[in-house]
Amino acid sequence: MEQQAFLERAMEQYGKATYNFAYRLTGNAADASDLTQEAYIRVYRAWASFKPGTSFLSWIYRIVTNLHRDELRRRKTRYHEETPTAIQPIEEYVEGHLSEPVSKALAALPPEQREIVLLADVEQCSYQEIGLIVGCPIGTVRSRLHRARGQLRKLLNHYMKSSP
Amino acid sequence: MNETHPTIEQIVDYLHGELPAAEDAAMHAHLAGCGSCEQRRAEELTLTERLRAHARAGERDLPPRVVTNIRAAIADRRTSGFLERLRSGLHPILILPAAAAIALICYAGFGAWRGAIAPTAIDAAYYVDEHASMATIAPFSEDATPAALTSYEETR
Repeated sequence: MEQQAFLERAMEQYGKATYNFAYRLTGNAADASDLTQEAYIRVYRAWASFKPGTSFLSWIYRIVTNLHRDELRRRKTRYHEETPTAIQPIEEYVEGHLSEPVSKALAALPPEQREIVLLADVEQCSYQEIGLIVGCPIGTVRSRLHRARGQLRKLLNHYMKSSP
Repeated sequence: MNETHPTIEQIVDYLHGELPAAEDAAMHAHLAGCGSCEQRRAEELTLTERLRAHARAGERDLPPRVVTNIRAAIADRRTSGFLERLRSGLHPILILPAAAAIALICYAGFGAWRGAIAPTAIDAAYYVDEHASMATIAPFSEDATPAALTSYEETR
């Protein structure tokens, strides 16, 4: 019962933030819903491992980030098995789902850069928090963030020029 | 930090509040007096603000369907978890002794139950007396009137 109450409180307080983070990572509502759903099922299962006094958001973002990476790996494997031709899935995805330059630029970033730029600039997490969420040292966070922002600047310029 | 101009990485770290205190203060002082670095800082800040504005504009509520699905999935897991535990508990090594114990309990319980509702005993003398009285009233005559019941001792 305590487990259920923990879940309900977590969903009530952080459900929206989790869903929006998942949405920004994936770029579409269906995947964001699946990711959020699976993340809270994990929260329910692993609620006893949550340490009171630590940031629940960092914890749930770590779960979401890991689930997203797993999903991308699964899709990549499936994609390579199903279509051996050299089409870039991310380009197809961007063309099919997004039109706004910032969305396009974010979607065109490699996933490991996208998650860091979202955590640093949108969620305003510290480098240390980001390191804990994505599971890498602060130096890697810093270098990925700088690469991501450099890429974003170029991509934004490109999409701004090409958009009507 | 570079003596002349900070790198773009340092400017980004400054914007994110990630420089050590001394470097942060030095950067602050440098930006106040360097137009080109201040320009780069403003460009980096614009990028950050664009990302935040984009996120705010696209912010959405958690769909109620997601909450419903989470609750349903957890209810399913609870049920299947219980069945799983039950199934794993039904190992042949455990089943036979458990079945034997249940059979013993049932047998003992049934015996006790039977004992509790056993019919009241009837004295055998009652049947003997009954037979004797019937025998005295000409059982083969259809006209015979029923005689008063007498005990076996009285008929002798």
